[in-house]
Amino acid sequence: MTVMEKLAFKEDMISPGISACIGCNVELTLRTVMKILGPNTVFAVPPGCMGGVGVVGWNKQSGAKPPVFFPLLDNTASMLAGIRLGYNAQGRTDINVVAFAGDGATVDAGFQALSGAAERGDRILYICYDNEGYMNTGYQRSSSTSKWAWTSTTPVNASGGGGKRQHKKDFPVIMAMHDIPYMATASPAYIPDLVAKVEKAMSVTEGLAYIHIYNPCLTGWGIPSDQSIEAARKAVQSRYFPLFESSRRKIRITRKVKEPIPVKAYIQASKKFRHLDDEQIQELQELTDERYRFLEAMEQVSQEG
Amino acid sequence: MSTHQAAAKSRVDVMNGNMAAAWGARLSRPQVIAAYPITPQTPVVEYLTQFFADQELDCQMSEVDSEHTAMSMLTGASLTGVRCYTATSSQGLALMYEPYFRASTLRLPIVMNIVNREMISPQTVWGGPQDSLTLRDAGWLQIYVEDNQEILDTTIQAFKIAEHQDVLLPINVCYDGFYLSHMSERVEVPSQESVDAFLPSYHSDHILLDPDRPAAVDPLTSGYLLMEYRQKHMAAQQAALDVIAQVHDEFARLFGRDWGGLIETYRMEDARYALVTMGSVTGAVREVVDRKREAGVPIGLIKVRALRPFPLQQLRSAMSGLKGYGVIDRNVSFGWNTGILFQEVRSALCGLDEQIPCIPFISGLGGEDITLDLVGQAADAVVRNTAMVEQAQWLQVAHEGR
Repeated sequence: MTVMEKLAFKEDMISPGISACIGCNVELTLRTVMKILGPNTVFAVPPGCMGGVGVVGWNKQSGAKPPVFFPLLDNTASMLAGIRLGYNAQGRTDINVVAFAGDGATVDAGFQALSGAAERGDRILYICYDNEGYMNTGYQRSSSTSKWAWTSTTPVNASGGGGKRQHKKDFPVIMAMHDIPYMATASPAYIPDLVAKVEKAMSVTEGLAYIHIYNPCLTGWGIPSDQSIEAARKAVQSRYFPLFESSRRKIRITRKVKEPIPVKAYIQASKKFRHLDDEQIQELQELTDERYRFLEAMEQVSQEG
Repeated sequence: MSTHQAAAKSRVDVMNGNMAAAWGARLSRPQVIAAYPITPQTPVVEYLTQFFADQELDCQMSEVDSEHTAMSMLTGASLTGVRCYTATSSQGLALMYEPYFRASTLRLPIVMNIVNREMISPQTVWGGPQDSLTLRDAGWLQIYVEDNQEILDTTIQAFKIAEHQDVLLPINVCYDGFYLSHMSERVEVPSQESVDAFLPSYHSDHILLDPDRPAAVDPLTSGYLLMEYRQKHMAAQQAALDVIAQVHDEFARLFGRDWGGLIETYRMEDARYALVTMGSVTGAVREVVDRKREAGVPIGLIKVRALRPFPLQQLRSAMSGLKGYGVIDRNVSFGWNTGILFQEVRSALCGLDEQIPCIPFISGLGGEDITLDLVGQAADAVVRNTAMVEQAQWLQVAHEGR
């Protein structure tokens, strides 16, 4: 059975009619992930796009069908850790305890809670949908926003100057270095890869599993709604967002990109990079190359170990 | 079990307030504990983790990365329907404010000891209830206690109060840092059997995250519904007035120790004047009342135990007809130029026909000693006073060079 056939026969765990933007690839990601997780799940959706579109719904008529709640923006991992302990105390160890959180709730405000849970080995599955900022409140920057990108708090002036002044936090590597049993990156453009990673994460019985999904935001970044998946795919094809996984610091690139397209081809998909000059584009290219080399080197070390 | 049987099964020990709190928690059989150390609460966490390591405490124990995580974790655990406990102080409580407020608005009966400590700045680690008093309107129940036995007894009672179906609210049992937390006293430790007979296990039906009974918790909610939530929350606070008294009486019958319930009165039967207190300073005030009585001054003492809910009627009946009172606050209410308890007491007494002359005292901030002499000065001032004094009178020992 192919992944697509498998997904076709699974119940959609999210009701029809949530109010995500047309073409939103986070909604696709959410529905896919939730089909794999199934109904035996307690599900945290902190404030962010998926909270905003009604995934924490009413009377099972809207939103998620499994038990779902809003954690605070900054305590998703710790609330879930508590839920796990509560069920451990009752001998119910088969429940999936899962976060579906944006990058703001993960790499910024929620980082301490997540890092603490990872270090303690709290058994939760934490999924971050990274759309590079606070997209549901009008596109403010986060520490996951790419360098030079326009956001409403890193605006661009009339002469094309401005944008975010710092590089994107390399969060997947930071999580991998917590020695957790499973860490993976994923993309809505590579659904079979995503499904396989969710299934691996679900099989973790000791410690925290983390999946970082890169979700270009149509509305916030300025991407036509019919190019949603295309933009996500170019991020991988250009090595800007490599697909890899790690287990206890053993790193493996799951989709090797032997002949990358230029980063320029990826960032041209988004209006938020439209003001960049050649020098700035070159800087992003060099960062991409460096990070990929670093990843390959770590993979090499992992294999030697 | 009769009082006699319960008393026979208890053992007498000497312990500090933090150990008394840890024993109170241990005997109540919490299923999840998450705590982060902070002076002066730190030993509570050390004692509990030692009980856990020695397999004398059967629970899920998490040594967390912050107080914010501690309360967040217990919020999650409580949403699975288990009994939860933690403790904190001062800056830890401040860091916890976000999940602290939400634990009450989610109606989760979490029990937390607060080892009262001043808020910085300037840098300080010593006692004073500024930390928890500042959060008196965050929806939790708050009880303030006077000595180590009362810490242990009230911590056990707290679970029964919080988990009562008419209440379902989190609760703080607050005691002064260092004066109680680090001072050793005689404490009777009840047997596990007698506490089990008093405190049944917790079963939650009102809010759960359970795949067998799926529900969404806290969807985006309109104001008209939020108002209903708040009305019910406030009604639960009022219901707690009765429940605190009932649980207290039941405990007193079973274990033979009576702490007064919502308020404790001392030599108030024929008193014309009163000093109103909270927490450990009450011991000193009790002594001063005795001395003044010996000198023929008709003065008594009112110890406020429950600050939330506030024992409005109990205070009115205890204080009606007095010729004067003073409130000794070990805290400040910025903007009122008095302490916080004074504002609460005076508001309660507005319901009386008469206006009772009163004085707001502030003393003992940052753990400064509230000496017998200072309390004596306060008593004398109350007896002399005929006005509604609205500006704080500061009681302090002169320091060299100041």
